[in-house]
Amino acid sequence: MNLGKLVWRNLLRRKGRFAFTLGGVAVGMAAFVSLLTIGQGLDREIKKQAQGLGANLVVTPKGWCAYEQISVLTGEQLPEAIPMSEIDKIMAVPGVKTAVPYLNEKTAFRNRPVPVIGILPEEMRALQKWQIAAGRYFKAADEPAVVVGAAIAKQFQLKPGDSFTVRGHPLPIIGVLREAGNKDDVATFMPLPVVQKLYEVEGKVSFAAVQVDDLQQVDAVSLRIQEKANVAVVTDKQLLSSILSIVGMVSGAMQAVAAVGVLAAAFGIVNTLLTAVYERRREIGIMQAVGSTRRTLFAAFLLESGLYGLLGGILGVLVGMLGAYVLGPYLTDNAFTASLRQSPVPSLDGATLLLTFGLSIGLALAAGLYPAWRATKLSPVEAMRYV
Amino acid sequence: MSETVIRVANVSKVYGTGEAAATALSEISLDVERGSWVAVMGPSGHGKSTLLQIMGGLDRPTRGQVYLHGIELTTLGSAQLAQTRARAIGFVFQSFNLLPHLTALENIQLALWFGGKGDEKGHAQAMALLDSVGLAEKAHLCPGALSGGQQQRVAVARALANDPDILLMDEPTGNLDSAAEAELLALLGRLHEQGRTIVMVTHNPAVAGRARRVVRVRDGRIEGDRVNGS
Repeated sequence: MNLGKLVWRNLLRRKGRFAFTLGGVAVGMAAFVSLLTIGQGLDREIKKQAQGLGANLVVTPKGWCAYEQISVLTGEQLPEAIPMSEIDKIMAVPGVKTAVPYLNEKTAFRNRPVPVIGILPEEMRALQKWQIAAGRYFKAADEPAVVVGAAIAKQFQLKPGDSFTVRGHPLPIIGVLREAGNKDDVATFMPLPVVQKLYEVEGKVSFAAVQVDDLQQVDAVSLRIQEKANVAVVTDKQLLSSILSIVGMVSGAMQAVAAVGVLAAAFGIVNTLLTAVYERRREIGIMQAVGSTRRTLFAAFLLESGLYGLLGGILGVLVGMLGAYVLGPYLTDNAFTASLRQSPVPSLDGATLLLTFGLSIGLALAAGLYPAWRATKLSPVEAMRYV
Repeated sequence: MSETVIRVANVSKVYGTGEAAATALSEISLDVERGSWVAVMGPSGHGKSTLLQIMGGLDRPTRGQVYLHGIELTTLGSAQLAQTRARAIGFVFQSFNLLPHLTALENIQLALWFGGKGDEKGHAQAMALLDSVGLAEKAHLCPGALSGGQQQRVAVARALANDPDILLMDEPTGNLDSAAEAELLALLGRLHEQGRTIVMVTHNPAVAGRARRVVRVRDGRIEGDRVNGS
C-alpha cells in the first residue's frame, strides 16, 4: 500500500462524480487553452503579415483609427484618402528608397467578399519579390487584367484565362501568384489606374508602403515625410505594436472569461472533496485508529485534488487544442482577423503549456486545501461514530 | 513482579460544557499488566468504550494521565500519538471497521504502511497475517464479500499488523454468531498464550469468562475488579 494507490482507489470509488468533476476542470481548461492558442495564433499571424508588408514606414491619411491600421496588414477595404500628388512628394523626400501605393477595395465574387488591391505592378513586384505560379505577370502599368493570390485561386478554382468581374466589368485573369503565406494569398491585384477607374477614385490611394535607404534614419525620414506631405506616418514596428496591443487586449479579455470557467471548476473540486470528506468521515476515523497521521490524511486529500488538476489539465489541453483547430477558423472569421483565418495548425509553446498545467494543478491544489484541512480536524472517536 | 504496560491514573472524561456537560468517566485508575487478559464489563453508556479509547490514545481525558509503557500519552502530539497507535496498539471494533473499498489484503497493508512497511514487504507480511487467521484464500475480497466472522478475523489480522503487544477490543464478538464467536475467542486465546496483552470491552459474561481479570464499570467509575475464578 502507498499514498498513490490509496488515493487512486478513493478517486475511482464514485466514478460518476469523478467524471463530472474532471469534466468541469477539463472544459474550463479547454476553453482557456483554446482561446490562448487562438490568441497566440493571431499574434503570430499578425507578425508574419507585418513582415510580409516589406515596408519600413507606412504612410496613412491623418486620423486613421486602429481598425484601419489593422486593415493595412489584413488587406481589408480602406478609404481612398491620399492623393497621388502626395505620393509623388514622398518619393522626392531624401532618404526614401521607394514608396509603393495601395488602393484597397473590395468586390463580391460568387457571393463572397474578395479584396481588390490596386498596385503599381513593377514597384510592387520589386517590394514583395512575388513569384508567378501559373500564367504571367502584368506587362504594362495600366493593363486591364487580374493577378490572383494562391488562396483565392484555390478557393474559387481560378486559373489564367478565367474571367473575374469587378463592378460589372469582366477582366481576364492572367496569372496566379505563388503562395506567400500572408495576406497576398487572399487578395486579387490589378494595376492602380485600373482599380481607380473601376471604383471612380481617380488620383487617390489608400496608403503607401515606404522603404528607406538607411534603416538608422527611419525616424528622420518619417519626420521629413510629414513635413513635406499632408499625411501621417507610422513605422512598421509602431504599427505592429499598436495592432498587437489591440489583439492582445481582446485575447486577454477572452482568456479572462475562460479563467472564470477554470475558477468555477476549482469550486467544483472543493465541492466534490468536501462531499468526500463528509462521506468518508467514518473511514477517516478508522484510518486514524489504525495509525494514520493527520499529515497523511491531508496529503491524501490534497493529492486527490491535485490529480483532478493534472488529469483535467491534460484533457483540457487536448480538447482545447482540438477546439482551437476546429473552431479557430470560425472564431477568427470577423472583420478584424478575416484574412488571418488560414492560420496553420494551432500550437502551444512549451512555456505556455507549463503555465497551463501549472494553473490547472495549482488551482486544484488550492481547491483541495480546505477539504484536506477539514479531514484532519476530525477526531477519530467522533468520526467513527458515523455509520 | 509483572510489568505494568497501561496505567490509567485518576482519569476523568467530560463531554460538553456548562449545563450540557456529561461525565463519562470519573476519577478512574487502573493498571494493566503485561500478558494479562482483561475484560471490561458494565451497562451500556457507563463509560467502558470511553475508557478503552482513552487507553488507546484515540481520545484524550479531561483530567488525569494515561501511561503506555511508561510514556504519558496525554503529553504526546497528534503525530506521535498516531505512531503509537500504529505500532504499539492493535484495535478491534464491534463493527469490524474495515475500509469497504479495499480488499482484505489491502486493509492489512494499510496498517502496515502506517507502521512504516511499504509495498513489497507489506504484501508478504499481510498475506502471512491473513494465513494466520485462516483467510489467505479470501485475500482479494472486499469486506462486503466476507461474513461477519471473517471480517472480524481480518480486523484482528490488521490489529496484529505491526506486531503490537497490546490489543484493545471493543465488543469484538458483538456482531458475531456463536460459531464465529467461538472461532474468534480461540484465536484470542492463542494470541494471549503468545504473551500479548488484551483489554476487551464486552457485555457477554461467557466472553468475559475467557479473560483472566474482569473490571466492572458503572456510572463512569470502577465498581469491581476481580481475577476470574477467585
